[in-house]
Amino acid sequence: MQLTNKRLEWDQFLEIRREILNSWPTGQEVDLEEAIAYQSKIPDNRRFAKKLETAKQEGITLAQPRAGVALVNEHIELLRYLETEGEADLLPTTIDSYTRQNRYNEAQAGIDESRSVGRSMLNGFPAVNHGVVACRQVVESVISPVQVRHGTPDARLLTEISLAGGFTAYEGGGISYNIPYAKDVPLERSIRDWQYADRLVGYYEERGISINREPFGPLTGTLVPPCISHSIAILEALLAAEQGVKSLTLGYGQCGNLTQDVAAIRSLEELADEYLSRFGYQDTVVTTVFHQWMGGFPQDESKAFGVISWGAATAALAKATKVIVKTPHEAMGIPTKEANASGIKATKQILNMLKDQPLMQSQELTEEKELIKAETRAILEKLLEFGEGDIAVGTVRGFQAGVIDVPFAPSRYNAGKLLPARDYYGAVRLLDFGNLPFGEDIKEIHREKIAQRGKTEGREPSFQMVIDDIYAIGKGMLVGKVR
Amino acid sequence: MVEEKKQLTLVLGVIGADVHAVGNRILEYAFTEAGFKVVNIGVMASQEEFINAAVETNANAILVSSLYGHGEIDCRGLREKAVEAGIGDIKLYVGGNLVVGKQDWQAVEKKFLAMGFDRAYPPGTMPQEAIDDLLMDFGFVQKC
Repeated sequence: MQLTNKRLEWDQFLEIRREILNSWPTGQEVDLEEAIAYQSKIPDNRRFAKKLETAKQEGITLAQPRAGVALVNEHIELLRYLETEGEADLLPTTIDSYTRQNRYNEAQAGIDESRSVGRSMLNGFPAVNHGVVACRQVVESVISPVQVRHGTPDARLLTEISLAGGFTAYEGGGISYNIPYAKDVPLERSIRDWQYADRLVGYYEERGISINREPFGPLTGTLVPPCISHSIAILEALLAAEQGVKSLTLGYGQCGNLTQDVAAIRSLEELADEYLSRFGYQDTVVTTVFHQWMGGFPQDESKAFGVISWGAATAALAKATKVIVKTPHEAMGIPTKEANASGIKATKQILNMLKDQPLMQSQELTEEKELIKAETRAILEKLLEFGEGDIAVGTVRGFQAGVIDVPFAPSRYNAGKLLPARDYYGAVRLLDFGNLPFGEDIKEIHREKIAQRGKTEGREPSFQMVIDDIYAIGKGMLVGKVR
Repeated sequence: MVEEKKQLTLVLGVIGADVHAVGNRILEYAFTEAGFKVVNIGVMASQEEFINAAVETNANAILVSSLYGHGEIDCRGLREKAVEAGIGDIKLYVGGNLVVGKQDWQAVEKKFLAMGFDRAYPPGTMPQEAIDDLLMDFGFVQKC
C-alpha cells in the first residue's frame, strides 16, 4: 500500500481496526457506537477543544501539567490533587514508556510490581492494559478535561481505547512521535499508523464529537530551532486535517530567548492558518501550546522554579493558548504530586499577573518572526516539491534527504546532521545546516550571529559549544559560555 | 589520557524502552575524547544487546544509562546475564534518573550495587567523573 496524504477509505480503516482491536485483550472492550454514545454525553465544559477555543477567544493562557502513574486509584488521586491543590486548568494522562512501545506484557509486569511494592514502578499510566472502563473512571473523577500524552509510534490501539475511554484530547503524530521516540520505525509506517489515529478522531468529529489533536512540538527538546518544529507541526496538521481532524493545537518548546520564543509562537499560528487554508482545510481551529524548557534542568529546586517561571512568563507574553508545565523535580526524573502541583502554582501566578500585559512590539520581534517564517516555508516548499504535491510522500523523501532534520533524534530515519548553538543573545541558531534547503541570505544571518558569539567568547564555534549550551541551563546560565 | 596500547573498550547504551538520545551522544563524545574505545549501542538497548556487544568487542566495561524511571526493572539481572555469557567479571556502571520519583540517592545506589553494578551515578553527574573512576578502577594513574 503506497503512502499518500489521502483520507483513509472506511473499508480499509475497518479492516485494520479488526486486527488492532484483536492485538490485546482490552481491545475487545471497544465498541465504537457505544463509545460515541458515551463521548456525546460529556458536556462542553469538560471537553478539551471547547476550553481551548474559549481561552483563545479570551486571549488567556491555560496551564497543564504532565502526570501519570501505574495504578488507577493512585492516578485518580494524582489528577485530583493537581486539579484542586495545583489549580491546573487542563489535565493530562501521561502514558508509560512500555505502552509507548506496545510492550504491554512489560507494562503488566510493572502494574503487578507496583501493586506489590506499593509505589509506581512505571513512569506513566498504562491505559491499554487498564482498558476502557478504567479510563472512564479516570476522566469521570475530575472536572477538567483530560488529554492523553505519550510518545507512541504505533498508537492505534491506544487511540481506540483512549477515545472510547472518554479522553477528549490526544497528543502525537506520525513524525513527532517517531523521530524523537524510536530508533528503528520507518516514517512511512508511523505516518500511516497515525493516519489511522487521525481518521478515528475524524470519525468522532463527523459524529459531532470534538476531539482535540496535538502534534508534539518540542521533539527532542534539545536546542530545536523553531523552523524545524514548526515544519513538523504544520506537516502533522495537514496530515490530521486530511483525515477529518478539526481541533488542532500546535506546539513549540521554549528555547529561552524571549524575542525568539514569542516570535515562534506567533509565527506558528500564522503559518498553520496559511498552509491549512492553502490546502483547503477551512474549518479547522488552530490553538497553540508552549512547552516550558524541555532540556536539562538545575537540580536546585529554587533555580528550577526560575526556569519554570521564565517559561510561564514567555507563554503569557506570547499569548500561547496553553502552557505545559515543568516541575522543580525535573532534574531528578518523575516528580511527586506535591512538586508537580508547585510547578503549576508558580506558573499560574505568573500567567495571572501577565494576562493583561501586552508585549511591546519591536523591530527585532518582527524580524525574528519573518526569519522563522522564511525558514519554515523554505523547508515545507521543498518537501512539497519532493512529494510532487503530496505532503506525506514529501515528508518521507525529505527526511531521507535531510532537508528536514531533527537535532539529537534517536531515529535512524533522521539525518542527524544539524548542529544548533545559541547566539550571543541566547537564541537558537544553526552552526551546521546539514542539508536544510536554506538560501544564502538565511544562512548568512545564522553564520553572522554565531560568529558574533564566538568572537565574544574568544573561541571557534564547535561541538564543544553545543555541549556547553546543552548543559548551560542546568548549570544556571542560558548560553554555555566558557568559564 | 589512556595510552594507545592499553586502550579500554566501553559498551555504552540506554537500556529498556528509553529513547533519551542526547546524553548518550554527549557521553560517546566525552569518552572518545578521553581516549576510550566506545562501542555505542544507542537507545532502547536490551540487556542482551549490552552483553552481546561486550562479548563481541571483548569490552572492559558496560556503561548503562537510564533516564526515564524504569531503570530498576530494566537493569535487574544484567549481572547474571554477564555471568551466563562468561564475562561475569566485567565492570558494570549505571547512571541517570534510575527510579520513579525523587528518592534518597544512598538507597538507590545501594539497590543498584546489590544488583551487581560496580558503580552507580545520580542525576546530573558530569562525564568527567565517570572518566576519572574508569581510569582509577582499571589502575591507570589519575590524570589530575
